[in-house]
Amino acid sequence: MAGHPEQPDQQPGGGFSTPVGSRRTFFHWVTLAAAGLVGVGLSIPLLSTLMSPAFQRRQRAWVDVGAVDDLPAGHPKQLDHVTTVRDGWLETTSHKAVWAVKQPQGDIRVFSPICTHLGCGYRWDDSENKFLCPCHGSSYDVNGQVLGGPAPRPLDTLPSKVEGGRLLVMYKDFKSGLPTSVEL
Amino acid sequence: MSSRLYNWLDARLNLKPVQRTLLDEPIPGGASWIYVFGSVTLFLFVLQAATGMFLALYYAPTPDHAYDSVRFIETDIFLGWVVRGLHHWGASAMVVAIGLHMLQTFLYGAYKAPREVMWMVGVCLFLIVMTFAFTGYLLPWDQTAYWATQIGINMVGTVPLIGDIASRVLRGGEILGALTLSRFFAIHVLFLPAILLTGIAVHLFVLRRVGPAGPWTDDRASLGAETFAPRQVYMDAVVIAGVFLVVAALALSIPLPLTDKANPSDTSFVPVPEWYFLFYYELLKYVHGPLEPLATWVLPLCVILVMLFWPFIDRNPVRNPIRRPVALGSGLLFLLVVFGLLGISIRNLYAVPRADPAVARGKAVYAQLGCVGCHRIHGEGGAVAPDLSTVGDTRPDREWHLKHFRDPQSVSPGSFMPKFPLTDQQLNDLTSYMLSLKRAT
Repeated sequence: MAGHPEQPDQQPGGGFSTPVGSRRTFFHWVTLAAAGLVGVGLSIPLLSTLMSPAFQRRQRAWVDVGAVDDLPAGHPKQLDHVTTVRDGWLETTSHKAVWAVKQPQGDIRVFSPICTHLGCGYRWDDSENKFLCPCHGSSYDVNGQVLGGPAPRPLDTLPSKVEGGRLLVMYKDFKSGLPTSVEL
Repeated sequence: MSSRLYNWLDARLNLKPVQRTLLDEPIPGGASWIYVFGSVTLFLFVLQAATGMFLALYYAPTPDHAYDSVRFIETDIFLGWVVRGLHHWGASAMVVAIGLHMLQTFLYGAYKAPREVMWMVGVCLFLIVMTFAFTGYLLPWDQTAYWATQIGINMVGTVPLIGDIASRVLRGGEILGALTLSRFFAIHVLFLPAILLTGIAVHLFVLRRVGPAGPWTDDRASLGAETFAPRQVYMDAVVIAGVFLVVAALALSIPLPLTDKANPSDTSFVPVPEWYFLFYYELLKYVHGPLEPLATWVLPLCVILVMLFWPFIDRNPVRNPIRRPVALGSGLLFLLVVFGLLGISIRNLYAVPRADPAVARGKAVYAQLGCVGCHRIHGEGGAVAPDLSTVGDTRPDREWHLKHFRDPQSVSPGSFMPKFPLTDQQLNDLTSYMLSLKRAT
């Protein structure tokens, strides 16, 4: 526009005027600062929304899996573990089955139904009196200790408690293939 | 570091000529703060694209999940409400920026030869942006979204010959539902961005072929020219940062609550469109009966055609606004009509003063007692008892209302209004609400 208070500095050659020297540096830095402000101001909410779910832990709840008296002492029993889980904006019902073993003294241990080797589902074999994994042949005794096969650690134990004669279990997932139990 | 990388790339890719083309474009008469609106609009498009992509991480375009997924963004995702706020206010800011950009072009006569094509592409871009606004409005699938879209599509249906088929294509069938939502989503996030990007490319290509218009002086030979960088870039960047701060402040300070989830059977819901469609919403209130098609499509079509072909309607070659009284007068008249209607609409919407908390409490009592079953206020409610829309004007006496609520028949013999057991507080609040119902002044 005509009539600017400051006329741009001339630069020889090229035919057009363009600011030079310290004025040019000033424009350069203000432009960078404005771009930085917008960039940072926008990145914070955008990256937060992207990463937010990665930092949210699932809500875990105690689930009633049955009466304690229904468990035979010293003999594993598979129990249904049904719970409502929130999956994003969805609410779905999750069906899992956990293995519960009542010790002769009355203590109850509950095992995750996932083999610690590579994550297959195992079963109790009555004839051999041990847990057998059909995938790679890992086997565990009634206390979850490894008897054979490639399993790197004993069966994972799930938190459990008894309230009013009912067995409550909190379901968790563990990383497979590691020598120690690491929760997901 | 960055200059070494640049030199390394330049040695291989020969970047210097590209840099000269992009940054050393001559601006006749030099850089100016008045030229920033095009860049601001482009920035806001980038802002909309970026925030939209991140919203799409969570949004589910089906009637079953759309509402819940938007609520999930609002409440469960860290800063998700900020991103949604930026997208919402960014859309408004974009309409404002385009308005100012067009106003500047109009005032400076920059649409005149040889820049007619740039103006026409610009008008198309403006229409695409309004289509963005229309399709985006449905996506949250709340009551406002559903009913506003219902009205918008029904208006398309009033166009003769093609209206019926056009509205069915828009809805994806007879009713507004799953197919409408999924196609609005696809149009909003896939079709329109592709079309808009192409349009922007053409708009900028034409700009670089004909060059910026510069000031309106007739003596163009005497004008010097300044390169685009660094001063115009600096001005654009400063205003862009300012606009971003305003949009961010709005997003952070004004929450955008969803209304209830869309309910196709609840026909009592009265939707209000976004502010940039309000002037049109107001216009439709004044046109009824056989004249209705005039407002629903004849007038909009005429306005769009006049805007599009404006460079060929205004054949006066002079660019100085002072010597273009007819063009300037018609532009001014158009703006007066649009902003007049917008003003009236906003005043009507905010007719109930919100300053007195007793009024809000009274309004709640009114809703709680089901007064709406018999009485009507601004078109909402039953019609068996008096319309209360302007009862504050017709019955300005506070004592009358207090007596009337205690015993309706004592001041209005023969009235069938029941005596409600009201506490003194409720009585006073309800009366305050009645007195607040006045004609807009």
